[in-house]
Amino acid sequence: MESLIKLENVWKKYKLGKTEVPVLRGISLDIKPGSFATIMGPSGSGKSTLMYLLGLLDTPSEGKIYMQGQDVSGFSEDKLAQLRGEKIGFIFQQFNLLQNLTALENVILPMIFQGVPEAERREKAAKLLESVGLAKRINHKPTEMSGGEQQRIAIARSLVNNPEILIADEPTGNLDSTTGKMVMGILTKLHKEDKKTIVVVTHDPNIAHYTQNIIHIQDGQIVANHFKNEEVLWAENGKTN
Amino acid sequence: MALFKLGGISNGVKEYFKIAFKSIATRKVRSWLTTIGIVIGVFLIVSLLSLSQGLKNAVLNQLSMIGKDLIMIMPGDISNITSLVTGDELSEEDLKIIKQTEGVAKVVSIDYTSIVMRYNNQKKTVLLYSADWKNALDVFENDVGWSLAEGRWPIARKNEIIVGSIVASELFPSIRIGTEAVIKGRKFTIVGILNSVGSKQDDSMAGIDDTIFSSVTGERTGAKQAMAKLKAGYSPDVVAEKIKSNLNENRKRQIGQKESDSSYTVLTSEKVMSIVSNILGVIQAVIIGFASIAIIVGGIGIMNTMYTSVTERIKEIGIMKAIGAKNRTITAIFLIESGIFGMLGGLGGTFLGIILAKGIEIYFQVHPLFYLEADVSPQLILFSLSFSFLVGCVSGYFPAKSASKLKPVDALRYE
Repeated sequence: MESLIKLENVWKKYKLGKTEVPVLRGISLDIKPGSFATIMGPSGSGKSTLMYLLGLLDTPSEGKIYMQGQDVSGFSEDKLAQLRGEKIGFIFQQFNLLQNLTALENVILPMIFQGVPEAERREKAAKLLESVGLAKRINHKPTEMSGGEQQRIAIARSLVNNPEILIADEPTGNLDSTTGKMVMGILTKLHKEDKKTIVVVTHDPNIAHYTQNIIHIQDGQIVANHFKNEEVLWAENGKTN
Repeated sequence: MALFKLGGISNGVKEYFKIAFKSIATRKVRSWLTTIGIVIGVFLIVSLLSLSQGLKNAVLNQLSMIGKDLIMIMPGDISNITSLVTGDELSEEDLKIIKQTEGVAKVVSIDYTSIVMRYNNQKKTVLLYSADWKNALDVFENDVGWSLAEGRWPIARKNEIIVGSIVASELFPSIRIGTEAVIKGRKFTIVGILNSVGSKQDDSMAGIDDTIFSSVTGERTGAKQAMAKLKAGYSPDVVAEKIKSNLNENRKRQIGQKESDSSYTVLTSEKVMSIVSNILGVIQAVIIGFASIAIIVGGIGIMNTMYTSVTERIKEIGIMKAIGAKNRTITAIFLIESGIFGMLGGLGGTFLGIILAKGIEIYFQVHPLFYLEADVSPQLILFSLSFSFLVGCVSGYFPAKSASKLKPVDALRYE
């Protein structure tokens, strides 16, 4: 099966003063369509940086990133923005909603960037908000809503352009356990029923239980890649599948 | 507008306006302060320009009542202010020379003086005009624009008087045709009331026959100014030049070569119009210049606000980029926001400017020093609105560019 997003020996280095600090050290990773994966690792392990690369929010210092077989490593920011808007949905720990806009407007926004006609935008956004149980709150602003509600707006927003992949960065990190479970329930349902590809980045082992595939990352390298009911340990980086 | 040429965003322009408005609304105090910078500049442009244009219209309008075949002759050089103050007069001889110049059909001398008029035991100062009813009535009617509201013209050599509209309406509201007014102990019968000719000075006049004028005022013969009416077929410019040279030659003969700089001002009505129009044009240019500086300073205020706004909204920019906003989309959103600042400033300034201009217009209607109508033209409004919008956009350009250049990952990580 062709991979959806593939990382090939990807390095990411940051300049700290005069020295270069490698945050990711030769990561190779393959996300297949329909998979539900967790990237786990302690803070500072590089999992967030990996998430930004997977989400095409950043470009690698070395190595290649393929999106549906196309090398996107050298793409311009505008081309990447186009791809993100079309193919990737984001769910963030901080929800990252625009505070000035209502729930409905927040969900509509990605469709505006994609040039979806106005009439269609409204209908689709309202429908998605309804599907996450916020039908009655579409005209409220994020500040008037609970964390769980805000995260559900973010989920609706991530789905609105019918993306190939959802990338969730600590989606339950700012939620209490009940709300967190509900949010994970929604993601699980999206995976099972709508066959969405989902990558969750977390440090919380409880979240990992929901997913089929757990990728452990430490010191910028993948140290383990578990699949449910089987555990494959990798002594070294750079070899996946 | 360049804004809408940033291909591919036209679909969302309406929404970007919405986003920009919301962002402006959430920072109320700052938005107000930013807008005021532009408001002041536009306010100056709209109020001062419409008033000066109104002034220009009024003056030109008044001048246009004067016929094209009239030439005005004044003693002294118009560019030399002292000659206006010293109060030179045209002598009888001067008037004769003018009359003898080729192409002149008729000379009307103009003389006037401020004088106290008594009517029903009330004393008010009026401008007493000397008028040659017998010979020059047609010039006053056809070329100067005098017309009777009621009554009739005085008969030459009789103690009869006509009064201007302000005299009849404000100075002596009880004035009636057929009653008598007293000037310097002499009784005059009021025979006519004039329509307004549009200037406070002319409307405050009382006109008496020129033969009586000098005996009433005790002034010497001669005149303060004169008008020469042309014969048909003569060019005003040519005749004006000839009058001027004849007068100067005569003056030189009289007082010798040493005062060769003594001069007369001889103007055709077209020349007067062009002088007035030039002077007011320069004034307007100066107004536009200064007010534009005010608007540009306002633009710097917008730039400052926009840079602050970009810094505050780095995270927001990151979010928008993450969910698919291209660089040009971010640029557009911020440009629209700064454009709105400019536009709001323009609207506010235009509104206040019109209020001030109209206020002054109404003031002059109540206290008619002279007739002034603020000329708020659509072009002026369009100019100030588009200029302020443009200044807003230009001021927002660099902040918007800096916003669009943020890398999404850095913007999202920014706390």
